[in-house]
Amino acid sequence: MNGAPGSSNSPPAERAGLAGPATNVAFTPEQLAEVRRLQGLYPDKRGALLPVLHMAQDTFGWISLEVEEYVAGFFALSPAHVHEVVTFYTLYFQQPKGRHVVAVCHNLSCYLAGSRDILAHVQRRLGVEVGETTDDGRVTLQSVECLCACEAAPMAQVDDRYELNLTPEKVDRILEGLR
Amino acid sequence: MPKLTIDGKEIEVEAGTNLIEAARRLGIEVPHYCYHPGLSIAGQCRLCMVDIEKAPRPTIACNTTAGDGMVVHTDTERVRDTRRSIMEFHLINHPLDCPVCDQAGECWLQIYYMKHGLYDPRMVDEKVHKPKAVPLGPHVMLDAERCILCSRCVRFCDEITGTGELGIFHRGDHSEIGLFPGRDLENNYSANVVDICPVGALTDRDFRFQVRVWYLDTTKSICTGCARGCNVDVHVNRRRPHHAEGRRVARLKPRFNAEVNAWWLCDIGRYHFDFVDAATRLTAPVRRNPGGPADVTWDEAVAGVADALRRYPPEQVAVLASPQMANEDLIALRRVLETRGIREVAFDVPPTALAKDDDFLLRADRTPNRRGATLIGLGGDAGGLMAAARSGRIKCLWVFHHDLLAAGWPAAEVSGALGRIETVIFTGTNANATSERAHWVLPAAAWVEREGTFTNFEGRVQRFRTALEPLGQALPEWELLGRVLVGLGGTAAGRRAEHWFRELTGAVDAFAGMSYQSLGDLGRLVAGATASGLPTPPGQRAPAHA
Amino acid sequence: MAEIVLMRNFGRQDSHTLAGYRATGGYGGWEKARTMEPAAITEEVKKSNLRGLGGAGFPTGTKWSFIPKNHAGPVYLVVNADEGEPGTFKDRYLLERDPHALIEGMLITARAIRCALGFVYIRGEYVQPWRLFSAAVKEAYDAGLLGHGFDIVVHRGAGAYICGEETGLLSSLEGKKGWPKIKPPFPAIKGAFGQPTIVNNVETLACVPPIITRGAEWFAALGTKTQGGTRMYSVSGRVPKPGVYEASVAITLRSLIHDLAGGVSGSGRLKAVVPGGGSAAILTADEIDIPMDVDGLKNAGSMIGSAGVIVMDESVSIPEALMVLARFYAHESCGQCTPCRESTGWIYKQVHRIVEGHGRKDDLDTILDVAKRGGGTTICAFYDGAIGPYISYIEKFRSEFEALCRS
Repeated sequence: MNGAPGSSNSPPAERAGLAGPATNVAFTPEQLAEVRRLQGLYPDKRGALLPVLHMAQDTFGWISLEVEEYVAGFFALSPAHVHEVVTFYTLYFQQPKGRHVVAVCHNLSCYLAGSRDILAHVQRRLGVEVGETTDDGRVTLQSVECLCACEAAPMAQVDDRYELNLTPEKVDRILEGLR
Repeated sequence: MPKLTIDGKEIEVEAGTNLIEAARRLGIEVPHYCYHPGLSIAGQCRLCMVDIEKAPRPTIACNTTAGDGMVVHTDTERVRDTRRSIMEFHLINHPLDCPVCDQAGECWLQIYYMKHGLYDPRMVDEKVHKPKAVPLGPHVMLDAERCILCSRCVRFCDEITGTGELGIFHRGDHSEIGLFPGRDLENNYSANVVDICPVGALTDRDFRFQVRVWYLDTTKSICTGCARGCNVDVHVNRRRPHHAEGRRVARLKPRFNAEVNAWWLCDIGRYHFDFVDAATRLTAPVRRNPGGPADVTWDEAVAGVADALRRYPPEQVAVLASPQMANEDLIALRRVLETRGIREVAFDVPPTALAKDDDFLLRADRTPNRRGATLIGLGGDAGGLMAAARSGRIKCLWVFHHDLLAAGWPAAEVSGALGRIETVIFTGTNANATSERAHWVLPAAAWVEREGTFTNFEGRVQRFRTALEPLGQALPEWELLGRVLVGLGGTAAGRRAEHWFRELTGAVDAFAGMSYQSLGDLGRLVAGATASGLPTPPGQRAPAHA
Repeated sequence: MAEIVLMRNFGRQDSHTLAGYRATGGYGGWEKARTMEPAAITEEVKKSNLRGLGGAGFPTGTKWSFIPKNHAGPVYLVVNADEGEPGTFKDRYLLERDPHALIEGMLITARAIRCALGFVYIRGEYVQPWRLFSAAVKEAYDAGLLGHGFDIVVHRGAGAYICGEETGLLSSLEGKKGWPKIKPPFPAIKGAFGQPTIVNNVETLACVPPIITRGAEWFAALGTKTQGGTRMYSVSGRVPKPGVYEASVAITLRSLIHDLAGGVSGSGRLKAVVPGGGSAAILTADEIDIPMDVDGLKNAGSMIGSAGVIVMDESVSIPEALMVLARFYAHESCGQCTPCRESTGWIYKQVHRIVEGHGRKDDLDTILDVAKRGGGTTICAFYDGAIGPYISYIEKFRSEFEALCRS
């Protein structure tokens, strides 16, 4: 162990599909070692809660109540306090999500650049309302606050990347590429 | 010690005192919701703002430590205007539930609105809706819409019980108090969150819809659930007997005593009063003839009992006293025993199962006055006594409170023993299997129906006071024992409990020098006893959850 | 032509790499700072008039000097990379294109405040910037720049604007909800994990290496009398060339819009400008001849904040723009304290109702009164930020709102 704290997150694992509730909530031995490593980076191991929840979401697909209880065990926290954290932050999904997440920004600069039309276009193409997932489990649609890419408005976050300067045509190409 | 001025009055306080407490000492009330002296500072409600000279804006008093030379104003126009604003913010999404909310009459939104609000409401949009009437465990009901998110209950479960069941989920005006889905409020202090909730968000399920609080009378008393003797207030409903179907004791609330229970009361003790108004209450003296039981007068009962005690030689008489009896009752009993030379006495009837301490206030000993009974000299060999009863040596047995057929002895053996005793006398508040076998039943007043003292496990003597009239013809034990004493040719100490307490201070060294006055509202230790102090709350022993 | 300091490396393809950074003199500031006394570094930064570039504009050197001198335990440096102010994107550029500038700034700062452990809190949505920055951190470890007296932990957020508030960030770093902490105590006394902590913005720290290499006087002279240096202005909205532009803090808003961002698009006629991120009071078209430094905006009744400039032309509906922001504040209020929690939701409902055509006569005065009453009463400045738009949009464009309110 070289002692370098480095990053407090491991690379996201293969995304879980849109399945039912996670029934086998358990980290692999490697992941358990990673939990311990993350906890060691912080003066109080509780600091690793957000990174471990990211790790859990990447592993199990979303954060079910069972996942919350499982994670609580690593931190000697009551499940209620983990639930507080999960419900507070917008990036933790408490319901199964699609294989892909499309989050269209609706804040001021994007609104000025026509985000409402882009969102309407996405809704029509996918056939879902904001907050919903397509029937085939492919895409979950969100409408979100400022992603801080206002110079390229209107824009959206698609999975891990920003898709900038959206037009209906560009949106179609992006959605097409989401399998 | 910092010396500061509040509203023109000077006061010196201990270092570290916050401005709410400093003002309180001067009799100045700084309105607040989230602050509680037994919990950490949250600074969330923003109601306790005061003006401090040299500060550009009003500052919250709860998080401000009294500083030497500080000049504080709690009643400037700016402070009053700020309070008005904060009241409005608190009421924006608050449902107008007053007509159906138990908190009405003791609700701090109502109270502070009348004192500090009195504005015309201007919120015409739809309020945020949240879950209503959600049970949180057996004792607590949550209405999330009424909640003002002061977080007292969350902090209580983290810092006092250390169980962390409650949280505030989501954010913004969709923030919501709740339990982890699927779990319960599972600790033995759950109902304390009802006490500390300033509004009707957390209410008592037992008290729900029973009676309006303005019909209640309050009396200082002591909990009888265990040997700690937590201080309580008994709230009784005398004025609306048709509410709650004649139930008189509405609820118990904890009363602050820094040495015993601080602000808290366990659930077991809090609800340990339904026997008081139960249908099983004994309300008249009874003589059990061969043909069946018959009500008799007190004079007849007293005469009958005195006669029984006189008729048998002392070694054929046994008495099972009870650690539920007050000090005054126990000294009166001792005098009766001394008058007849009766030596076979004990109080330690074994329970069916051994109880345990919990991790905070509740003691394994679930009786209020074992220490008193020991000090007053009524301890003995209960097992030996029962053996003597089974052997036939005992012809007359006087049982106080115990149900010997539901105790830790084999019921068949007890039943056999009772069958061999010629005269069984029972004194207690409620009928039980043993009273059904008694030849004389003398009804006792419940502790809320009389005054007296208990001695807690540390040796702390604490007063409890009369909250209700005794039911039917029930009498305090000291009084009926006094009459029996007179019937035996002795002299009763007097006609009030206080007379018997005085008798006690003369008879037992541990109580020497005490008086009802010296006991005050917070009690005193018997001679030679050491205070064990308030236990550290479990939430403060391990690293805090929050 | 203004000197380009912060964006000097952006043009290079390998600007984000250690080799690329070093090729243009990178880590020279750290080499020099290692020979300086900690107090001397702080003095230099104080003399430079560097002011916080994340939003509050507090003098940076002064903030560093609040760390107690004789603290027995650790001191932490926390970098606020939770960029979230609407209209702002400059930190994203720095993280992606010049991450070593931040690392070098952290090294120097850590020496000044005697800190051995730094945290970089990056908003959860910034996945690409997080990857690039983490790679740069690894490079720095491999090169021995880190791990010898100073360590960096990179921490991802999970989606909450309030985590850009200094103590909200600290709560989140500690593994809790991003609830700001009541003050006192202030972070320099009791911050992350209960220890003295300095929280600085990404861009602020990126200024530190040039200050050390080229001197405080040089940096101070680039700016105004009360604020030194240049800064990166994020310009978006109705401009032909939205983007991030570096300029002296003395630049006027007019020059920024017309000389750098290409003027006004849409109808071509300027109506209003948000000068300092969504929480800044809006300025009208005739209020743009002001220097874009901390005091310049304060004197104009607004704030420079995060220097996020959003330009609105005549075709923009101000009530709709306010509704978009009011929704933002209602979504992002953490909910901890009563005035903000209740009134952000309420005001959004009212503005929404007005935009939908169901506004009533008293609504505007109610919103203004509620906003003014709540200001200064909350745990943190989030609500003070929210009332910037609530009050300024209505007061400066009242007739547009009134037209939507039936009598």
